[in-house]
Amino acid sequence: MRLFRTTRFRLTAIYALAFLLSTATLGVSLYFAVGREISREFDERIAEESGALRRQFAISGTEKLKRIIDARAAEIGSMEFGVFDLKGKRLAGVGVLRADAEGRPIVGWTQSPEVDTDEPLEGEKEDVRALVVKLPDGSLLLVGDERRLPDKAMAAILFAFGWASAAALALALIGGVWSSAQFLKSIAKMRAAARDIMRGDWSRRIDLSGFDDDLATLGRSFNRLFERIEKLLLANKHVSMDIAHDLRKPLARTLRRLESALQDDVGSAKTEAAVSGAMTDIEGVLDLFDALLRIGRIEAGARRSAFRPLNLAEIARETVDAFQPSVEASGRKLLARLQVPLALTGDRDLLVQMIANLLDNALRHTPVGTTIEVTTIGETLVVADDGPGVPEKELAAIFHRFHRGPTSTPGSGLGLSLVAAIAEMHDLEYGAFNNRPGLRIVIRKTRERDSP
Amino acid sequence: MKVLVVEDDDDTAKFVVEGLKDQGYSVEWTADGEEGLSRCLTGGFDVIALDRMLPGKDGLEIVATMRACDVATPVLFLTNLSGLEDRVEGLQAGGDDYLVKPFALAELVARLVALARRPTLGVSPTILRAGDLEMDLVNHSVKRTGEPIDLPPREFELLEVLLRMEGRIATRKMLLERVWKFHFDPQTNIVETHVSRLRANIDRGPGPSLIRTVRGVGYCMRG
Repeated sequence: MRLFRTTRFRLTAIYALAFLLSTATLGVSLYFAVGREISREFDERIAEESGALRRQFAISGTEKLKRIIDARAAEIGSMEFGVFDLKGKRLAGVGVLRADAEGRPIVGWTQSPEVDTDEPLEGEKEDVRALVVKLPDGSLLLVGDERRLPDKAMAAILFAFGWASAAALALALIGGVWSSAQFLKSIAKMRAAARDIMRGDWSRRIDLSGFDDDLATLGRSFNRLFERIEKLLLANKHVSMDIAHDLRKPLARTLRRLESALQDDVGSAKTEAAVSGAMTDIEGVLDLFDALLRIGRIEAGARRSAFRPLNLAEIARETVDAFQPSVEASGRKLLARLQVPLALTGDRDLLVQMIANLLDNALRHTPVGTTIEVTTIGETLVVADDGPGVPEKELAAIFHRFHRGPTSTPGSGLGLSLVAAIAEMHDLEYGAFNNRPGLRIVIRKTRERDSP
Repeated sequence: MKVLVVEDDDDTAKFVVEGLKDQGYSVEWTADGEEGLSRCLTGGFDVIALDRMLPGKDGLEIVATMRACDVATPVLFLTNLSGLEDRVEGLQAGGDDYLVKPFALAELVARLVALARRPTLGVSPTILRAGDLEMDLVNHSVKRTGEPIDLPPREFELLEVLLRMEGRIATRKMLLERVWKFHFDPQTNIVETHVSRLRANIDRGPGPSLIRTVRGVGYCMRG
């Protein structure tokens, strides 16, 4: 049965066994300690009694002692008292002298089965323990008592411990079964959730009601994991749909172009135009895939090994210089205020691409006459323009893959998500703001955390 | 020009081999690394197009072995990876250039031609010439028909790359890599605007420009 193979049940069983063992140890030692103590007290009482009688004898002599002993022995429930002559003949009281092999009475401590039971209790056979001493006149004084009482106490102790142990064991078993059952129930919930998720129900979570232990922590961790997976899958789904959408258009156009080329004479100008148009379209598609691959590779962080210390302001300066003629030729203005160095550990190629993409973006989405400014202030790089800007509620979305403004300008829609990927890889924060007018993109070094 | 192609991907190999043959080059092809290495060492090729990752033997290993055996045949790496490490590793192992897949045939041909006619190492010239244009690398000066021309640094570098490749096509990608160290293709027409500025600076009077545009591919310095 699975119940008994659970960790919890095994733990409970081990605890129960340990408990039982310690209870038994305690019981046994208590048994012996109490037994010894009771025997000692028992003997002491007999010895005291015997001593008192001897003193009595010394004071009042044999006859008086005999009378006292007869009187004492007659008391109901009393100890046994007897006086014997040297040959073992009883002169007074009760009791039996034990004799050695030669028939001489034994002096000292003796133990014998009770013979004349004045209290025949349930037919039990009781031991009588007695102390025999020699009196000065040569007679023997016996003081003894039944040992029934101490043995009964001992039996009671054993009995109590036995029951306690049995009860504890039973409780432990019940507890173990119960907690194992709870555990299995929790596990079953987790398995059920895992099975559903494997079947494709990505929104499924582990039902954590009734979880209140370490499994709850584990369950919560799993639920967070599932949440993250679902989010990633969803994002992926969106991206693949976006890709499909983005591919359909140029591919459909290419197909049309090639179809019309097929109807024309080979080598005609029209055919040539169709084929070169188709090639341009396909190049665009390849560029799109290139950009996606790049983002993927950057997000995987595969290139971190190429990181070295550099100055982002310097990189921005080089990139701005490269773009300057193109920006001017397009009828816009490109200003650089890059005197403040911005030290960074990173990959030069990627950072150049990040700034180039920001400039590409500014060029593509602004009208002629716009001024684009690249500035470093403190630990911040700003690329700002005074163009039409982006509506406030879309500002955060412009870094998402395939995001396109309402004007639907040409382009892959991946430029800024590549910026985001590169920034993240370099532990840079990025954000888009309203430049009033225009768009201002801010890239900033993440505030130093406590980590070394 | 005799080209050896070592490439294990059939599609890429077919595309490259047929493309090069169509353009009149003599091509040999092998898909195996070991075989590739032995042909590299004995074949007497002008240039080798070598896949970075091959079954049997890694592209890096092949080049390293070649260079260790004093075979100086120029090598162009074909790679699926565009990471900086990969590029640096390839060049450190003794490769001369690299091209990330997928690539256009024109780009490949331009790079192979550029490599095949690369002047063997030795005394590098201090003066580069094309027609009546002269570039002095020591004085950092440019003259056209003896008349000095003042060029901004980037245009000077651009001109230098074009002059060194005189008569061969410099593709846009090659120029981006060599002049600006851009290992990606920006959307903005950086190369075009710089070339047009350079033309405005070095061309004199009517007649064709010294820098010929090869449509869809790149530029070529007239001899």
